[in-house]
Amino acid sequence: MRRQIIKEREDWKSQADSLGFNFHSMYGAAYWFEAACYRFTLRQIEDDIEDPCNELEQMCFEIVDQAIQKEEMLLKLSIPENFWDYIRNSWINKEKNLYGRFDLSYNGKSPAKLLEYNADTPTALYESAVFQWIWLEQAIQANIIPSGCDQFNSLHERLVEALKNFGINSKLHLTSCKGYAEDEATVRYLEECAIQAGIETNFIYLEDIGQDDSGVLVDLDDEDISALFKLYPWEWLVKDEFSAGVRNTEIQVIEPAWKMILSNKGLLALLWDNFENHPNLLPAFFPQDRRAADFTKGYVKKPLFSREGANVEIFSCDGLRDSVGGPYGEEGYILQALEPLPVFQSNHTVVGAWMVASQASGLCLREDDTPITKDTSRFVPHVILD
Amino acid sequence: MKRTRILKLSIMSASALTLIACERSQEVGIFESLEQCSNQSIFSKEECSKSERLARSEHIRVSPKYISVTDCERDFGEDKCEMAPQRTTTGGSVFMPMMMGYMMGSMLTGGRGMMPQPLYRSMDDLKNFRTGDNQKVSSKSGITRVAKGLTRTPSTKTRTIRRGGFGAAARSVGTRFSTAGKFRRFGGFRSFGG
Repeated sequence: MRRQIIKEREDWKSQADSLGFNFHSMYGAAYWFEAACYRFTLRQIEDDIEDPCNELEQMCFEIVDQAIQKEEMLLKLSIPENFWDYIRNSWINKEKNLYGRFDLSYNGKSPAKLLEYNADTPTALYESAVFQWIWLEQAIQANIIPSGCDQFNSLHERLVEALKNFGINSKLHLTSCKGYAEDEATVRYLEECAIQAGIETNFIYLEDIGQDDSGVLVDLDDEDISALFKLYPWEWLVKDEFSAGVRNTEIQVIEPAWKMILSNKGLLALLWDNFENHPNLLPAFFPQDRRAADFTKGYVKKPLFSREGANVEIFSCDGLRDSVGGPYGEEGYILQALEPLPVFQSNHTVVGAWMVASQASGLCLREDDTPITKDTSRFVPHVILD
Repeated sequence: MKRTRILKLSIMSASALTLIACERSQEVGIFESLEQCSNQSIFSKEECSKSERLARSEHIRVSPKYISVTDCERDFGEDKCEMAPQRTTTGGSVFMPMMMGYMMGSMLTGGRGMMPQPLYRSMDDLKNFRTGDNQKVSSKSGITRVAKGLTRTPSTKTRTIRRGGFGAAARSVGTRFSTAGKFRRFGGFRSFGG
């Protein structure tokens, strides 16, 4: 695993604009960054990322299996009691899941360590599946990178395939909130995949979803919503006024409700509890756990529901070192052993491994000037070259 | 290859776009009929007829299957479907689109040869030939180059009927409610993502 400085394609910005990747620059800085790329060997991809992620996913399933049977686990995860049965049923009925992203600390040598699992609402999907893929093809053509380069990126194929297997025979509604270009692009892209899977789709802003007297959710044409992809966190949805419309009706939701157990940072503590010393896990504990006192190299405090690095605080041995503000934290938090991200040419880099239908299917690399990856961290493409 | 082979975008991009991963392409013949094949000089008449015969037998195996002729015609057009030799588990009829052409490779190229396969045209995209796996092949017949992935043998379509195999057959199941104005809205959202 190396970071290599390379030439940018001259027209990438106009290409991005025409491809609907209109958030390539955010807050005045480049979000898409192709003046460098990360280079992996095939062995690193397959042995260090792909296989371990498939294994982690199976471990996660074991946690879900346990959690739906143990109320104290659901309590620890701050999941509202009125959704417990709904979550249990979604798991027992084997409701299919579409995608997620493991964030890993990986330096190319030691085992990748799981930092967190974005199991419910991961973004950066479109730029991973499409723009990164196009970059590879064009960069090869422009002799920016060698012609033998490959990429760990079968996201598009796998997403279409996975959506076909959902067996959705009604309309699939897809939703995100108004005013968030990045979320909307992710949803629009999944709509594209759904269409290619032969599914009839309808995009609707979350705010525009209606509910009739019997609790059924409807779209702007007053038609029932029977299958819904939502890029909106479950833990927020369960608190919304219309949440009963999801819980009490036959609506199929993607991601399914059992993902609430996995998208929760408490998962990290539950994983460690069950699979202590697994090479791809970091020690992690709920705050009342006495073992949390044994962190020798510092620790990270993560709110159960935090996203995009919000409210994450790093405590190294010499005291508070870095933190990011945000709206999360009331629901509780976990403590995870500090595993600083590897630094490549002054960049702190996190490896995101995409799971599609629970199969490792691609990579996205994000780098930041600081040790915490945030929503403004740069997206840098990668290649596989032995 | 660890990456997607063909990337298609229709609603995201300003103009519809199909990109093919730069993998090896293969020279193939695409013909609407045996006669058309026989009128060119790359493939011999014998290759043409042998390939056509093989494609016809593959057609029965790989074509999309329907339990209703109406559903089949919705995807492939009026009078463009035929009875398949298969039967449903309860003995009912099965329908499939007619073969509209076939794709063949040279049999002389040894290991690089390909199994001839049938081609179809769906209602929502009449100008293009598609494989039994609904992969867009080409709008033109004759000798052409296609991505190697397209020459793979298509999968068997069993009697398990799945609708919408070609093109999205509009099928709305929504019930209309006359409750406009009574709907409440979700409210109070923040930004999120992961």
